[in-house]
Formats: sequence, structure tokens, C-alpha cells
Amino acid sequence: MTNVLEIADLSISTADGHELTRCDRLTTGRGRIIGVIGPSGSGKTTLLRSIAGALPNEAPTVRGSLSVLGKHVLMLPANELREFRRRHIGFVGQDPASRLNPRMRVRHLLAEAVGHKQFNAQQIMTDVGLPATEELLRRKPGELSGGQQRRVALARAFARRPDVLLLDEPTVGLDAVLRTRLCELLRSRADDGTTILLACHDMPLIDELADKVVELGASAAVPRVLPERRAQQSTGEEILRVHGLSAWAGFRHRIPLLHGVDFNLAARGALAVVGVSGAGKTTLARAITGLHRHTEGRISLGREVMPLRVERRSAAQRRRIQLIPQNPLGTLNPSHTVGATLSRPLRLDRKIPARELPARITSLLATVGLAEGFTERYPHELSGGQRQRVAIARALATDPDVLVCDEITSSLDAATAEDVMNMLGELRGRQGLALIVITHDLGLAIRHTNTALVLEKGRVVRAGVTPDVIRTSDPPLRHVPAHGDHHDSA
Amino acid sequence: MKRVLRLLPALAVILLAVVGPLFAAHSSTEPVTAPYALPGPGTPLGGDQVGRDVLSRLLIGGRDLMIASALIAVIVTGLAAILGAVAALRPRLGAVIEQTADLLILLPVALGIMVIGVAWPGSGRIPVIVAAIVLGTPFAFRVAAAAAAPVAASGFVEVASARGERTLSLVIREILPNLRATLLTLLGLRFIEAVYVVATASFLEVGAQPPTADWALMIRENADGTLLNPWAVLAPSLAIAVLTVSVSLAFDVLTPQARNRMVTRL
Repeated sequence: MTNVLEIADLSISTADGHELTRCDRLTTGRGRIIGVIGPSGSGKTTLLRSIAGALPNEAPTVRGSLSVLGKHVLMLPANELREFRRRHIGFVGQDPASRLNPRMRVRHLLAEAVGHKQFNAQQIMTDVGLPATEELLRRKPGELSGGQQRRVALARAFARRPDVLLLDEPTVGLDAVLRTRLCELLRSRADDGTTILLACHDMPLIDELADKVVELGASAAVPRVLPERRAQQSTGEEILRVHGLSAWAGFRHRIPLLHGVDFNLAARGALAVVGVSGAGKTTLARAITGLHRHTEGRISLGREVMPLRVERRSAAQRRRIQLIPQNPLGTLNPSHTVGATLSRPLRLDRKIPARELPARITSLLATVGLAEGFTERYPHELSGGQRQRVAIARALATDPDVLVCDEITSSLDAATAEDVMNMLGELRGRQGLALIVITHDLGLAIRHTNTALVLEKGRVVRAGVTPDVIRTSDPPLRHVPAHGDHHDSA
Repeated sequence: MKRVLRLLPALAVILLAVVGPLFAAHSSTEPVTAPYALPGPGTPLGGDQVGRDVLSRLLIGGRDLMIASALIAVIVTGLAAILGAVAALRPRLGAVIEQTADLLILLPVALGIMVIGVAWPGSGRIPVIVAAIVLGTPFAFRVAAAAAAPVAASGFVEVASARGERTLSLVIREILPNLRATLLTLLGLRFIEAVYVVATASFLEVGAQPPTADWALMIRENADGTLLNPWAVLAPSLAIAVLTVSVSLAFDVLTPQARNRMVTRL
């Protein structure tokens, strides 16, 4: 019986000698679960991609050997590699939603993965915790929530029952219930003989599942920015008041997404928004920043009532509320360098003279713990965590009063996530920044926010002081629903 | 290096058409030999219907065709890119643009050119260029709008609109740089299409008028004498074919370069 995976002295670097990943020794047989860990930027994704035979575009240098099921995948000709991947490899990347064809319905996406029209949709969907309703099978990816898209992508990888399953951060964006279900599913697939590689920041998951752990070293070590620090108490004055905020999709058939959401955010306060996937958290973020087209209700910033749509807001109002979006790949423009990404919001304000720009950019990068050298890099040269740091720096560039963070730490390892949240906590104290933190990580919500609200099917079902809200809201957050996942209404 | 080799044919053809008139041995309008004379000393490709030198007319007759085609291709692609990105960003306005485009797609290009040519006689190539732009943009718009839609939905565009960027700035800074590969390919295709439209118009005697030297016009004028001096028809036909094939090859080489910076995908 040959080993499923054999790696010896593997090192992959770019043409200019910058090492992307390095793995000295790894062999594994059938039915094992391997955890690949390491800080953001240590090459976890590159290792997984090279096992699938897909190296980054800029013709990198490969040393050492890598064989999967006895084949040297990095040397296979294109047509054999394609055949090999189709039969033996399942891959779910860090941002699986971007790999779903936006024009295909869920049913066809699944049929394509299975390879024929007749398949048990019920089984596949239940495995990943989606309700197998006709209505859901008819939707297109754009009509699913972030968490649902992720689960459809997982279902596609599982559907073909590959020999080797490569999962990059599979639990990001899943709530506690789904995470547990995913664990059970992975365990049972491994027992059936599938070899699974998990690149993950989720240490409890690795502890629970992995038979073996590979730790990749830090390449460009990210400096730890600030010491651990408790969230500041708010001053009592309210910066943002939201009253009766409703949102829906479509002009002809209104699909309701939010129903009369009310909350207040204190200046220097931090509000956690929690809820299962599809509860309307991202819609709330987009409605507050004025991006959602179909909304009604009242939003006041400081003492003035603000128009709902971003086009009608004044420059100052727009500057004062900044969004950091969810999707780690789409959050930065792939055609702009980090420097260009940061200089635009600085210049749009027209307060910053051109000669001061480089210094301002360097200081913004330092605030998020990135070295000056990052200015010239493009997003595809950054790891998921580094991209998210740049996105935070971009939001801070306009010197906002309210920062809306949509799952910003979900692609970071636990230590880096703590650093980022501590850094935002520090800014709250220093610059009077108020935070809206959308998250699945209840621990993070308790540590870094003072108030919280729980969304369920677009309604606020609980609100108050964070620890109380989260402790008393066990049913919607941790209870396993009896029939599929009927929380998902949008 | 291999890439440069594949760019060479197009560069050579373009250079030849631009500086060709300098090398023409004879006038393009004065007869120098017998009508449909076979190739002989001083006239390597023989004579045309009235005995003018085919080689000289070939060297002179490509420049206007190419300039007109390039102009059409650049304007069509540019308009389509901007309209496509605007349509992706502003769905309601986009619906109006799309319906207008659908309507224009229904009009046959050749007929459109002839109508404009008849209604605006003696105006040379301008009506042809206008017609090719008006009737070509809708097709290119469709491609550009489809490519722009996923980019318009991504996080960086949301962040930019949330910080109050104007639509034009969203189009130029955020969306178009990410469509480079698509737009370059589109530009190549529109150039070839434009060559065909301009050549068809000349063949139909709209646009370039006799006795101007023009490749398409040469094919038409000399068609009757194909059996007497085949070069009078073959040479301009080959010239048009070589132009389109080499340009298409060149755009194939240029496109992947623009794709490098995009985020890698499995």
C-alpha cells in the first residue's frame, strides 16, 4: 500500500527567491486527517494548492519532491493533471464563494460536481447543514448568504468522494452548530478512507480532528502590535442611532431581509452583531453604510439624521462611517498596490498634501502591524491575514467615527485576531472610534465588545450587555434545529 | 523572446502600410502599362484595369483602411468599456442602455452603411466610421457589461462607493483596470471586425471613391480581369488577410500579460 501523500524537503519560491512555503517531511496513508497550521503568511494555502498541482502564476521554483497517490503532481502534463484532479482531489479554497459560477443554480452546481444528473440532493445538502428544499436548489449563488455559499462549495467538494480532500479554513464563517456538524462529517469521511488536509487557524478544530499536525514556520514575521487590553468603557454619548431599519431585496417581489432593527451605538462603544448564517448580518452592515438599495427607517449619526442611501449623504457623513467587507479576496482591488489603495481615501479628503502621503501610508501600515515594504505589493502577493490588515488600514485612513467590521478576523489566526481586535480597542480609546463587530466568534465578542445584539431571520431577538446577551441566547446560537437549518431565510 | 517573434508580423504589416506610400515607384492614378498587363520589368505585380501599377497602389492603399479601422476599434472598445462598467454599477441606468443596445444590434451593419452613404454622398470615409461605431458598440457593450458585473459586486467597489467616489471614478479606478485582459481581446476583435466593415463599405463603393488606391476598392475594380492579371485581385486580398491574421496573433500574445496581476485562482 503506497502512501497517499509523500513530501520530502519541498520548498516553493518565487522567481526572485522569496520563499512561499517549505515543508520538510510529510507522509500519510489513507483515512488520516492532517492539520496544517502556522501564522498568516506562512504558506499554508500554497502548500495545499501545490498538492492539487496548482502553483501560483509567476512560474515559481520548486525544490524537493511531492507525490500524491504515487504521482508527481507538479510534473504531470496538463491533461493528465486535470484527469487526476477530477478523480482524486477535492479542494475548497479560502474564499469558496468566489469559485461558484454566479450564473448556475445550486442544483446545477451540485450536479456538475457529482458528474451526472441523478443524485441524492437531499443527502448532499443535509451533510453540510443546508435544507434540501426546492426553493434553495433553485437559487443562484448571489441569492445565498456568505455562510450558505461556503456550505454549497463544501458540498461540491464532498459530492464526488475524492481520495484527497484539501480544505483551506473550512470553518471560517460557520456558526457553532455547523462547525460541529462539519467535524462529524470530516471524521466520517476519513473513516471511509478519505485523506483530509486542513489548513486552519481554528486550533480547537485541529485538536479535535487531526491525527497529525504540520506546522509551517513564519516567513516574514508579523510584529505583534499591542499588549492585551480590555475593551474601554463607553462615554455614554451616542454616536449612531438606528431606528426601525428594514431592508429587502428585489423591486417586484420583496424578499424581506431586515425587519425594523433598532439599536444605539455609544461613542467609543463596541457593539457585537451575532446570529446564524443568513440572519441578515451583512445586510445590516450594508444598510448602515448606505450601500443596500432597498431600505427604510432612520439612521442618525451624532445629532443629525442621515440619508439612507450613500449617494445622498454628505462627504463628512460618508467619511465618518467606514466599512470593512467580509470577503478576503474581493476586499482589495487586485490592480492597485497597497500604497495606491491607501492613498486614495487620504487624497479624497483633500486634507493631505501629496508630499505627506508616503509618511501617512507608512504610519497607517504601522498601525495595523505591517512593515513599510508592503507599499509596493499587490493583493495577490499578500496572505489572507495581510489583506485584511490592509483593508483595516484603508478604513482608518479617513479617520472615521464608526467602523463597521463584517467578519474581519475570521481569516486570521487566533493570536493575530486578538492583536487586531486589541488594536481596534486601542483606537477606540485614542481616537473615539466606535465599532460594530459582526462575528461568529462568541468568545471574541465577549472579550472585545460591551454591547451585543442577536439577529435571527432579520429581527433583533436579543440585545444588551454582551456577556449577558450571549449567555442567555443559547437557543438561537447553539441549539441544533430539528429539521435542517431553517434559520436561513436569505 | 518567443512573444516578440509573434508580435513581429503585425508590427511589420502596420509599418509597411504606414510608410508604404514612400516606397511606391509609380503614381497611384496614372497608367504606366497596358490594362491587366502581366508582371514585367518595373511593374512586379503587373497592371490593373486601366494599366496602373498594382504594387504602387498596394503600397499606398492600406494606410487609410488601417487608420480608419484602428480608430473604429479604439472608440468602440472605449465606449463599450465605459458604458458596460456604468451599467454594472447602476442597474436601472444599465437596463436602459441594454435595451438601446439590443435595438441597435437588430440593425444590419452593411445596410446601415449604405443608407448613410446614400444620404450623405461624397463625404468619404466619415459616414462609414460613424456607422461602424454606432452599430459596433452594442456588441462590444454586451461583452464589457458581462465582464464588469462580477467586479462591480466585489468588496473594494462597495468600499469605494461607501467613501463617496463618483461613478466615473469607480469606473476608471476600480473596475476598468481589472478588465484589462477582456478589453485587450475585445480591442483585437473589434479591429478585425472594423477592417471587414471598412473593406465591405469600400467594396460597395461607399467611403473610398475611385480613383483612390484602396485595397477593397482594388478587389472590386479588378474583379473582371482576374483571369488576365490575377495579381490585381490576389495581392489586395492577401494584404487584407495578412493584416487581420497578424493583428489577431499579436493580441493573443499581449493578453496574458495583463492577466498576471489578477488574484490566482484554482
